Amino acid sequence: MKTVDTRGLVCPAPLIKTRQGLTEASPDETVQILIDNPTSLSNVKRYLADNKLEFAVREEGDLAIVTVTRGAGGEISINETEYCTTDIPQAPSGSRNTVVAITSERMGSGDDELGTKLMVSFFRTLVLVEPAPASVVFYNAGVKLALDDSPVLEHIKELKERGTGIYLCSTCINHFGIKDRLPVGSFSDMYQILNLLKDADHIIRP
Amino acid sequence: MPFDLLTTVETGGCSSKIPPRQLEELLARLPLPVDPKILVDISTHDDAGVYKISDQMALVLTTDFFPPLVSDGYEFGLIAATNSISDIYAMGGTPLLALNIMMFPSSAIPLEVYSEILRGGYDKAHEAGVSIIGGHSIDDYPPKYGLAVIGMVHPDRIITNAGAREGDVLILTKPLGTGIILAGHRLKMTTPEQLEAVKLLMMRLNNEGARLMQKYNVRGATDVTGFGLAGHALKMARGSGVTMTLNMSAVPLADGAYSLAEQGCIPGAAFRNLDYTERETRFAEGLDYSLKMIAHDAQTSGGLIMAVAPEKAGELLDELHSSGHPEAAVIGVVEAKGDAALVLR
Repeated sequence: MKTVDTRGLVCPAPLIKTRQGLTEASPDETVQILIDNPTSLSNVKRYLADNKLEFAVREEGDLAIVTVTRGAGGEISINETEYCTTDIPQAPSGSRNTVVAITSERMGSGDDELGTKLMVSFFRTLVLVEPAPASVVFYNAGVKLALDDSPVLEHIKELKERGTGIYLCSTCINHFGIKDRLPVGSFSDMYQILNLLKDADHIIRP
Repeated sequence: MPFDLLTTVETGGCSSKIPPRQLEELLARLPLPVDPKILVDISTHDDAGVYKISDQMALVLTTDFFPPLVSDGYEFGLIAATNSISDIYAMGGTPLLALNIMMFPSSAIPLEVYSEILRGGYDKAHEAGVSIIGGHSIDDYPPKYGLAVIGMVHPDRIITNAGAREGDVLILTKPLGTGIILAGHRLKMTTPEQLEAVKLLMMRLNNEGARLMQKYNVRGATDVTGFGLAGHALKMARGSGVTMTLNMSAVPLADGAYSLAEQGCIPGAAFRNLDYTERETRFAEGLDYSLKMIAHDAQTSGGLIMAVAPEKAGELLDELHSSGHPEAAVIGVVEAKGDAALVLR
């Protein structure tokens, strides 16, 4: 096994040493890389994944040990999707242009109490849908659903963590005077909102 | 032995930008000023703001400053000023006036370095026909320098990120690779000639590019800086509502950039930029990995990406070649908006 020690080095030196170590090692030799800063670790991981090399990371305090195992010829087919979901959050391709437009606090019209229940249920279900939508846009009274005491706030946060863009209409926020009560989402002007809707393949409006 | 400015920083130039994705999120929270005289604001991620004074004239405003990316104060001043003024040219404007912006640790670095940096700034401003009429300094470590610049443009002749049209051809005026070469230099992996060549690239004004864009009626352009070729092309594609396809094998490269990238000398800024572009970019099967990363290399004082009508591309390219941009090349095309805003192949 070959060890590449990049401790104390800053970007891009750890990557250069990694690359050098991989070139020098014999084709099926395991290469171990020692890295002590998070930026270089993230870049080295990205580099290995992009170059389809299989690796494992063990962290011991501030030190990360990346072990690259290789087969004959250095060409190993790896489970690429594994890296994509763990290291590189990406919107699944099918979801790219699905936009959810929330225009009211309630789902549908007729009975307000029922409408509120339905909206909560809508969000509870939306977080389960695969793939997650590319973005959710809140405008008019819809922005109130992003308030700090909203019954669906947790679901909105969950969507954001899954890579969905959360956009709140800034004119609407000013209109309702709720600027300081919005823990999640980006404030957007009409230009951005219009572009999101314009570029959408599907718009879901509950 | 003169003071080496590179001892004050780990990364410099436009590599020191805030990661683009975070920046966009932060900026999206700010209210946009509403005034019909504002012709270009940050909503299209353009290089500079434009404000209409009359039907004949609009002001173009921009600022840019960064920590050292070369050892010598005078050269740092030249490069920082070139980079600051470039945003005016990228909008098709003519720069007029500037203010110095300087952060300098007066107790940590000899004061001669301060005056050398300013001298570089003044000399480059003079070359661009810009008068520096003031500025502001504060004590800070590491040093940072740049200009706030005002220029003018005819309101009907503003060149923006939003002006690329389907069918246009994309021209890039300077080779890529400044970030990689500068990082390689710090690790002693470059030759003196390679370093000298990228310094000259970073000191080269984009004034001829701006002049020729107006001559050939270009309406969509931007300059390539911290977000790399791919990042800036993506902003342009988005702003114009089109898909841009870049043929990476046609992109001019600074000498040494490819082999450094091949050896893993890929600055962190390139990975940050890739994080930013990849959701809206399709990387063609078989795209060379080093070229892909060079497309994301943060450039300091980079060239212009111009979207020009195909029938004028040949002539524009010829004139660029004879006007101080011998490396200018056609690097891609503008197409109707597809599922990805940017395609690298």
